Amino acid sequence: MTAYKFLGDGSVSPFAGFRWPVGEWVEAAAADPCRRGIHACRVQDVPFWLGHGLWEIELDGEIVVYQRKIVAPRGRLVRRLTDWNRELLEEFGAGVLARTRTRFGAVAVLSGYVGDIQNHLASGRVPLAAFAAARAAELSGGPAEYERERLRQAAWLADRLGLGTA
Amino acid sequence: MRLDREITCAQVVDLVTAYLEDVLDADDRERVEEHLVFCDGCSTYLDQIRQTIAVTGRLEPEDIPPALQDKLLAAFREWSPA
Repeated sequence: MTAYKFLGDGSVSPFAGFRWPVGEWVEAAAADPCRRGIHACRVQDVPFWLGHGLWEIELDGEIVVYQRKIVAPRGRLVRRLTDWNRELLEEFGAGVLARTRTRFGAVAVLSGYVGDIQNHLASGRVPLAAFAAARAAELSGGPAEYERERLRQAAWLADRLGLGTA
Repeated sequence: MRLDREITCAQVVDLVTAYLEDVLDADDRERVEEHLVFCDGCSTYLDQIRQTIAVTGRLEPEDIPPALQDKLLAAFREWSPA
């Protein structure tokens, strides 16, 4: 199946520090979430892991679905999604801000999140802004609203990056 | 992250050693990593600990000057958990 993975410079994974080869199958001993295996994002997981470079990855073998990720015993980095860049990240952040302002800008307490998000974006911390938007939504309507805001973020990214269409 | 999965910066600091030693369960590990994505402070802290381990991991006892060894040993003797 096709999934997505955020990697740093030199296609290095941010947590494991593994330098991914492009186009070669990488095998793990097992698919064990957060321990062993090839970890990747479904479309709905992407907003939780925003990072430097976004790659499309092909997964193979028995896939384990975890809370915010999927894990497979084999994976092959297919291509970097070059449309994922600073400009798109900022556009994503601006959309998050606009939506939060529309929904909560006139709501006591929650309107404070609008200013927080503005500050986060001004300092380039888009992942924090996206989290703050989801937190504002959660405070308005509970955990389901948190998830819905994250799904809105994922839908925006999927639309702009063509995720989930392969 | 959602409030029911919330992990604070202080908790991340407490869990860093366990995280680096890979002894956290999958749920806690995911929560720490989800936090690291949006928290520059904790991310920097983790990098600093990693660098410290990398540097001190190369130290041999004879690399430490005797005076500093004595000072460190004295500090460790006086240290007690709160």
